[in-house]
Amino acid sequence: MQLLPQIVKSVEQLLIGEKIRVPLRRKIISTLIELAQNVIHYSITNYPYANPAISLTREGDNIILSVSNPIHSSQELFLRTYIENLLSMSKEEQLSLYQSVLTKSDYTDTGGAGLGILQVVAKSDGFQYKIEPLDQEHAYFTIEATFHAATNS
Amino acid sequence: MMPVLHIEPSLTTPEIHFDAEKGYFSIKGSSYPENSLKFYEPVVQYLAEFVRTHVPDPTKTLILETELNYFNTSTAKVLLDIFRYFEQLHEKGQPVKVRWLYLEDDTEMEDAGLDYQAAVRLPFELVALHEEA
Repeated sequence: MQLLPQIVKSVEQLLIGEKIRVPLRRKIISTLIELAQNVIHYSITNYPYANPAISLTREGDNIILSVSNPIHSSQELFLRTYIENLLSMSKEEQLSLYQSVLTKSDYTDTGGAGLGILQVVAKSDGFQYKIEPLDQEHAYFTIEATFHAATNS
Repeated sequence: MMPVLHIEPSLTTPEIHFDAEKGYFSIKGSSYPENSLKFYEPVVQYLAEFVRTHVPDPTKTLILETELNYFNTSTAKVLLDIFRYFEQLHEKGQPVKVRWLYLEDDTEMEDAGLDYQAAVRLPFELVALHEEA
């Protein structure tokens, strides 16, 4: 199943068509790859009432990448605590933490670096998330990363 | 004598060409496999064996060349592991040079190279390429 490279190729063509320059294309597509692979590794798959979703929209100079997936409600507290901690940091602190995790931490149980969300928070120009309850045991987790075409040109 | 390790590129994995006898090691393309540890396992095994058996030759410089366009964070971590093997060779007295190739206007890839340059104790050269492949 090679869905992700197809999505990457399509998004790259779309961004070239929008005249987005190489560094910002790299940022957006790197973010897409991280978030999509987070979905592949961590989304629950046996829940029929909500599916993962990816959207890329442009609003003026803002390019907004949104990725959603269903999760177990038990993951909510960890995700909120982890993300709120990252959001309380300055960009410099986030990048410093990224370097520290990259060079000093071990791999996660799924073979990841434990850096996906941190990279997205650190590299995007705006980061929002929401966790909406679906039922007693499930919730819908959405990450929205914004990139400014003007400041990245 | 170590054989050449060659892995053809795929949509999500780079071309690997490690030739210990020639002293040239190359990683080129995109690298975002779902399991980077698994993909790079033969590469890491090759390097571990090379580090274990290599007799330093001060007259020869080993070149590790990377030319990546996209890579995921788990690849970022494996790359650091690969650089650490070359650090070991360097510490044993083997001249080594890393060449980090990037497109000249690709500040993201340039920054990634600068981060690695700061994180490793190796001769580490950033090389700007002048046209998009």
